[in-house]
Amino acid sequence: MKHNDLDRVQRWMHAVITHPDGIVAGADADKARELLDAGAGNLESIVTRSTHLTAAERLAIYGNAYYSRLIDCTGEVFPVLKRTLGEEVFNGFVFGYLQNYPSTSYTLHHLGRNFVGYLSETRPEDAQWSDFLIDLARLEWEIYDVFDGPGLEEKESFEFESLLEIDPARWLNLRFKTAPCLRLLTTKYPVNNHYTLVRGTDEAIEIPFPGPEPENIAISRRDYVVRRYHLSLPQYVLLTELQKGEPLGIALESCADAAQNDPSINLEHDLTNWFSYWSSEQSFFENISGESESQFS
Amino acid sequence: MGRSRSTVNFLRIVMSTPLPRLGHPDLVFGLGLRTVHYTHILEEEPDIDWFEIISENYMDSQGRPRHVLNRIAERYPLVMHGVSLSIGSTDPLDHTYLKKLKKLAAEIKPHWVSDHLCWTGVAGKNTHDLLPMLLTEHSLNHVIERIRIVQDVLERRFVFENPSSYVGFTGSTLTEWEFLTRMAVEADCGLLLDVNNVYVSSRNHEFDPEEFIDAIPANRVVQIHLAGHTDCDTHLIDTHDHPVIDQVWDLYRKAVARCGPVSTLLEWDANIPPFPDLHAEVLKAKHQLRPESERVKEPGEDLAKTDSSSVPHPLHHNKVEVQ
Repeated sequence: MKHNDLDRVQRWMHAVITHPDGIVAGADADKARELLDAGAGNLESIVTRSTHLTAAERLAIYGNAYYSRLIDCTGEVFPVLKRTLGEEVFNGFVFGYLQNYPSTSYTLHHLGRNFVGYLSETRPEDAQWSDFLIDLARLEWEIYDVFDGPGLEEKESFEFESLLEIDPARWLNLRFKTAPCLRLLTTKYPVNNHYTLVRGTDEAIEIPFPGPEPENIAISRRDYVVRRYHLSLPQYVLLTELQKGEPLGIALESCADAAQNDPSINLEHDLTNWFSYWSSEQSFFENISGESESQFS
Repeated sequence: MGRSRSTVNFLRIVMSTPLPRLGHPDLVFGLGLRTVHYTHILEEEPDIDWFEIISENYMDSQGRPRHVLNRIAERYPLVMHGVSLSIGSTDPLDHTYLKKLKKLAAEIKPHWVSDHLCWTGVAGKNTHDLLPMLLTEHSLNHVIERIRIVQDVLERRFVFENPSSYVGFTGSTLTEWEFLTRMAVEADCGLLLDVNNVYVSSRNHEFDPEEFIDAIPANRVVQIHLAGHTDCDTHLIDTHDHPVIDQVWDLYRKAVARCGPVSTLLEWDANIPPFPDLHAEVLKAKHQLRPESERVKEPGEDLAKTDSSSVPHPLHHNKVEVQ
């Protein structure tokens, strides 16, 4: 019998070429047999053979390409994680990921969007190192997402001087609109340092996993290049509150609480430097507004 | 016995011969725009005739890829080439995707927009591969109906490429060139003739590639693709990582003889050489169109890359720039 139902043939071929155990297992699996009951022994009732290749061998070209291509693409999104784990281990993680989260998008840019979640879901309970891998994957996903997402490059930049032009009596009510490309992360492991270290080290040199040490990171973009910033806890808290839309006064209260136990911080002095630096980087703030929401820059 | 209404309609459309290239210009010799060449193109402004972009790499971009594209669009003619329309799938058309495609086209003003005669997934899943069609009357009608919808939404004629394929179906009742011809004529769309794909598929499915070239409606060929492939001994794989071989140049000359001058693009998607080398490679097409007595053969031109572990060319992916 020749199979000529387009929908069944497509669903069958999809089930066969995406089966993790290969074409024979895919063709014999219930999912494929419910669509076209050929099985591996009768593949040539559906797919023609050539002089040199059987139907199974021809289908395997698509089957091999499916995982190979998508594993390669995922590796481009998480290059430091791939190098940290080694290609074989990394590919094994992605192989599992693709079975649980096959692409449902028209674009490869969405391919890795559930990878961090997948690593968290499959995290071994007694393995602390997995938190490091999850943190590193989070960092790399945010970098990837920021690179091609919205930014401030086409907009008028926020100037620190515009803040100084506002009556200080109104500062506590000011709200900062943070840059759409600004991402704030807090991690259990120093993954930002690890990221820098791996990228600056010859590929032949193995870099050990770091020990746990909390890290606060800002990721943003300027001139279309992604930038990474190490943040102190008070800086992280302040920016997080501002990003949530809280007025400066509320954000500063939270920041002061976070700075209480850090003798190296003198808020009265440091705040001016922080805002001056963040403004000069042109990747933290889009504009500021008062209670009336009128824009100052 | 009189002809059926559909046959009369078909003949009527065939008889009304369209303009060469459906009226599109011959953009001459172009290259696919790839991330690794951005800096060279922006700084050197090479004397290339035109670029083809992968639509999906720019339709959502709000970062450097789109910024670079906007600058390149100011200087060079562009065409858009997609990989995710999935015109042959039995899944519903993705209207969000079509809306984004239309918006990008409105913004960068390509000469035309193309994709492949294939399906990329089903049941909501995308394999990101160009999967082969079951070639039947039913499939043909399915594809024609969807092309008409796409063309209505985009308010332009669409252009479809013949992909390389590695399997055929026992249930198919039409040849690929019959399917493409009837599809192009009845849906009133254009064709992107990939002569390397014709060659690869002809070896894999054991047909005469010249019969394919002879059969397609010449005036509907808007663009030609050239590329290199890999010879795996038992089959060929479209890898886009190697120079064009002699047999493909032969088909190219035959195609141009049939279709007339037509925009020609060299695809290269893996192990991408520096831009000047790639530019020189596409300009070989100009040399290949000279009379035989004027063509100088370079050593090794007729040899495909050999590698039994190759997979079909990876779909292009933007590279991240980070400090």
